[in-house]
Amino acid sequence: MAANDKATKTETAKEEQASPILIQMGIFAAILFVSSLISPLFPATFPVPTPVIGLVILYILLASHIVKLRNVEKFGDFMISLIAFLFVPSGIQLAASLDILKAQGVQLVVVILIATIVLLVVVAYTTAGFIWLRKNVFHRDVNVEE
Amino acid sequence: MMTLTATAHMAAWGKWLGDALGTNAAGASAGNALFGIFLSLVVYLFGQWLFKIGKGFFLFQPLFVGMVLGIFILFLFAKAFGTDTATFYKSAYLPGGNIIFWFLNPATIAFAIPLYRRNDVVKKFWLEIVLSLIVGLVISLFVIYYVSKLVGLDNVGIASMMPQAATTAIAMPIAGAIGGNTAVTAMACILNAVIIYALGDWLVKFFHVNSDPIGAGLGLGTAGHTVGSAKALQLGSIQGSMASIAVVVISIVVDIVVPPFASMMGLI
Repeated sequence: MAANDKATKTETAKEEQASPILIQMGIFAAILFVSSLISPLFPATFPVPTPVIGLVILYILLASHIVKLRNVEKFGDFMISLIAFLFVPSGIQLAASLDILKAQGVQLVVVILIATIVLLVVVAYTTAGFIWLRKNVFHRDVNVEE
Repeated sequence: MMTLTATAHMAAWGKWLGDALGTNAAGASAGNALFGIFLSLVVYLFGQWLFKIGKGFFLFQPLFVGMVLGIFILFLFAKAFGTDTATFYKSAYLPGGNIIFWFLNPATIAFAIPLYRRNDVVKKFWLEIVLSLIVGLVISLFVIYYVSKLVGLDNVGIASMMPQAATTAIAMPIAGAIGGNTAVTAMACILNAVIIYALGDWLVKFFHVNSDPIGAGLGLGTAGHTVGSAKALQLGSIQGSMASIAVVVISIVVDIVVPPFASMMGLI
């Protein structure tokens, strides 16, 4: 009996343990592969790139409990922690378009700077507005746990 | 060996370096990927060090420092090799840069994890999330259109500015379809991320964006793409989750909203 107890205990401990990193990478690779097969099915006028499909697929898999957090968490959090570094080549990519910057550079950078701030502020306040409507007009619950 | 002059030395070194970097005619297509990876790491780590000793001065954000310094080094190398920066970038940096760039694929997918961790918020507020992103984008498009007009951009420039809220891979083909320049749009998407990365904390404070955590998350994800999501995660789990959903939903909304908006404004 005691031995049996011990066996179940180690099994539950294993249940909560993170999957080996290669398995986690394998799950990401499989999702990416399937996404890359789905992406070209969208018409050229309505492009949906591979990583966007992949994000949706992983979310669906997590929400339907087919994939557990412990199967993907470790590798996923690691990738997210690298995101600023992964954007360095995109930033350096501007080296290829220095001639565009020479022609209209100042205007473009000004518009992009303003656009970034506008998108942040407008979307944030629009959301606050809709949440206000939900609370004060439709009288629905707006509380969220921190 | 004694007869070898200084210039011959230089030429030999130049050929060796050119071979190694893949900038010589023969190696132009099969460049050495290690240079791009090494340069990216060095400039980013230098940025991290600068950010640390600069006590977190916003212009010393590692991504921004890495980008500027990287372009400057490529510019100097190109000068030394006697080519232009764009050519040198393509032959010497791009092979390595592409390898790092590829990892944005799994990194983007990974944002499903913070999204799922706050599934309670997603389930409760999905209607508000979708409506806010649609209405917020349409309002922003009007502002961006008239700001572009004001600073004197031509129609090509304006069309290139319209789809920048979407992720780069969606924004570029949309820009092409509405008569914009895809390279300019790609630049806008990159600068969005760099600006949010450098100024995000300050902007959030200055505009009191974080008074509504759901709005803060959606705003950061829309304005800063995946980098915005990483910033939002630092504010809290709700913000991070909302930014992740914003990256996906805003891209689809741009897909649907921007082409009719462009034809309404007479861009196409």
